[in-house]
Amino acid sequence: MRPTFSVLWFATLFSCVGALAQTVADWPSYSGTPNAWRYSTLDQINSGNANQLVAVWAFQTGISDGGFQTTPIVLDGVMYISTSWNRVFAVDAETGRELWHYFYAAPREVGMGSSPWNRGVAVAGGRVFMGTVDNHVVALDQKTGREVWNVTVEDFRQCGCNITGAPLVVNGKVITGVTGGDSAHRGYLTAFDTKTGRRLWRFWTIPGPGEPGHDTWEGDSWKFGGGSTWMTGSYDADLNTVYWGVGNPAADFYGDQRRGDNLYTDSIIALDADTGNLRWHYQEIPHDVWDFDAAYECVLLDLPVRGQTRKLLLNVNKGGYAFVVDRVTGEFISGWPVARNLTWIRGLDDHGRLLERNEPELGKAKLICPSIGGGRSWNQGTFSPRTGWFYTTGIEWCQDVTARKEEGKEGKDFFGGIFRLRPPPHGNPGGHLDAYDPITGKKFWTYESKYPLLASVLATAGDIVLTGDPEGRFFALNARTGERLWDFQTGSGNRGSPITYSVRGRQYVATPSGWGSAVAGILPQLWPETETFNGGSTLYVFALPKPPGASGSPAR
Amino acid sequence: MIVLVLLFAQSAADPAVVGAGERIFAQNCSVGYCHGIAGSAGRGPRLRGRTFEESYLLRVTRDGIPRSAMPAWKGRLSDQEILAVVKYVASLSDAAPSVTGAAPAGEIISTATAQAPSAQVQRGAALFFDATRDAYCGACHTLDGRGIAVGPDLTRVTDKTPREIAAAMRKRRPDHVVTAHLKDGDSFPALVVLQEGGSVKLLDLTTFPPVLRTLEPAEIESIASQAEWTHDSFLKGIGPEQMADLVAYIRWIALGDPRPVSGEELK
Repeated sequence: MRPTFSVLWFATLFSCVGALAQTVADWPSYSGTPNAWRYSTLDQINSGNANQLVAVWAFQTGISDGGFQTTPIVLDGVMYISTSWNRVFAVDAETGRELWHYFYAAPREVGMGSSPWNRGVAVAGGRVFMGTVDNHVVALDQKTGREVWNVTVEDFRQCGCNITGAPLVVNGKVITGVTGGDSAHRGYLTAFDTKTGRRLWRFWTIPGPGEPGHDTWEGDSWKFGGGSTWMTGSYDADLNTVYWGVGNPAADFYGDQRRGDNLYTDSIIALDADTGNLRWHYQEIPHDVWDFDAAYECVLLDLPVRGQTRKLLLNVNKGGYAFVVDRVTGEFISGWPVARNLTWIRGLDDHGRLLERNEPELGKAKLICPSIGGGRSWNQGTFSPRTGWFYTTGIEWCQDVTARKEEGKEGKDFFGGIFRLRPPPHGNPGGHLDAYDPITGKKFWTYESKYPLLASVLATAGDIVLTGDPEGRFFALNARTGERLWDFQTGSGNRGSPITYSVRGRQYVATPSGWGSAVAGILPQLWPETETFNGGSTLYVFALPKPPGASGSPAR
Repeated sequence: MIVLVLLFAQSAADPAVVGAGERIFAQNCSVGYCHGIAGSAGRGPRLRGRTFEESYLLRVTRDGIPRSAMPAWKGRLSDQEILAVVKYVASLSDAAPSVTGAAPAGEIISTATAQAPSAQVQRGAALFFDATRDAYCGACHTLDGRGIAVGPDLTRVTDKTPREIAAAMRKRRPDHVVTAHLKDGDSFPALVVLQEGGSVKLLDLTTFPPVLRTLEPAEIESIASQAEWTHDSFLKGIGPEQMADLVAYIRWIALGDPRPVSGEELK
């Protein structure tokens, strides 16, 4: 028993310190660690034995609307799971036994159009935090699930926005973004006091009158310019800086009424964690007219660039380009594509500027790749310090897009056009998972998939990467070769994020299974059979079989 | 129900109605992740090549489907527009019912000729719900079915004169605001929402937006009826003319009173 206790003790110690770079026994936050690696140092399950994985328990949430998109959190042997309609379950991470649940009372008028899915909770300081379908943030007692505070971020009917992403907790602040990039709305990022729920700061992603960058918006377009913050940011404790990706400007496809660069849409923003003040920004796509958010994860990497180790940030945007910037200064380092069919620009120049923009036209359908679903969706990539590679999915698909002149009405849809998915002009539509050098984009291997891969990717020190596909297969690949080592049919498409953790010396891998989401909803335009793919909402947990007669420790 | 009856009294095949429906559908139903171009499916179901009862289409389009993607379009589109969309969606099926012998929709549906709000009322509404201001009225008050219900719904001010409304807005110490003192030393201005099962729900008014906090009796030192909190602090930067605009808007919604309000009469 002694070694077991020491493992737990270390895990607790490191969780408290909060500066942990790689998870040890827990999965304490949305991306595992504040640097958004989605990497675990656990190696009991590895490329040599992953083919022996067996399901050890499953948890049925009973809520299948909109897909099961969560990242479970595990702390001290307890797993915290969120579902669509903001239900939260705390379960014993070893047995799957429910400890408590919390069912949020969403207003009746909130429908599926309000994106009821949820991508995860944050757990810190004895509280569980969640953003809601009607744009509230709630804090629950970690032990009982009792609601401690509940704050309305903004009237969801007025802003046409809500919260689907997991909050990020930094130094007693729960930081949360909002959706609303496709609505006539002005985006922001807000920090609340973890203890009282009081608002500590707000950063508007679109500068107001008198603020630097306000002149990148024409007339009153800044008021309805989108700039959502719908995914989860990262944190560098040494720099005390929060990094967050900002979404597209609204209207999505029509930009003539918002001439200018439209800061800080499609930008990475670096904020002082204490004040929310802007340290720097890097705009990947000035004046976006394609709905290509830069809202996905900000992966913090310390890697050599021309012989010198630098603090870097990697962000893959919806346009299908990975941008690497210096996270101290915001200086551009490199950019490279994660998909083959990218025709919205010809590429990037040496300074990261877009070459030859291929913009939608008013009233005329135009074939542009990728589709609105992105050269990659929001489902997160992973970095393994063992291989030094970044693993991310990519999607091959295009669309006929037609821009339409639209006037923004506060809180209402503000797309400025319509689209219809099309296969790429050369080759089949589909998806893939690839291993890349994070700075040069050099590709080491590719795992091809018939359908877009829409689940996050997990890497571990056991040199495996894990993810799932729309047909329900959850699988492990060899991190060095891409060879498929193991798979398991979960019964519904994978749209969430797998994690790994350890309890009493046994390593587990957990994944949500449950098809759905906005992007899943447009797949039938290219793959009609996906219209009948079954939804679901089951959390599966896998481990290596226990050797005969063993009580606690598993086979090695 | 009136609309429902009229629906069957008019031609399904009127190309003008179907054409209007097509345009409305393209602008409202095809967009984003919803029904796709010409109903070819998106986040919402495919509508092409499927047969629906028109009464069903009408009900669903007008009232939406609770707990589903489908919003209620009543209030967003006129009855006439909803009808046109229904006709258009029906036309996407091979088996749309066909009833003849009535006038086109445009002549049947009479929309109430409600008086348009004045420019002052519109200015007041914009200011009331101006989310770019940190502490705007709608962050704490509902009016016209919008806003967040923290303080009173202002539709209730029906018996108030413009001057009384302005006075209530400027009141330094509203009666119902209390001060909560917690055992951990924290104290804050609050509104008591609910006391049940031993726990107390309070709205903490320290910051915007207010926070609904649930406290156990063991956490509370005392709840005092006196509070330092003042409402007039939220009127910073609101000049006499803007005040008049707000009052005019409130009276327009609460009473339907179109009378202009001047800054002078609120003094």
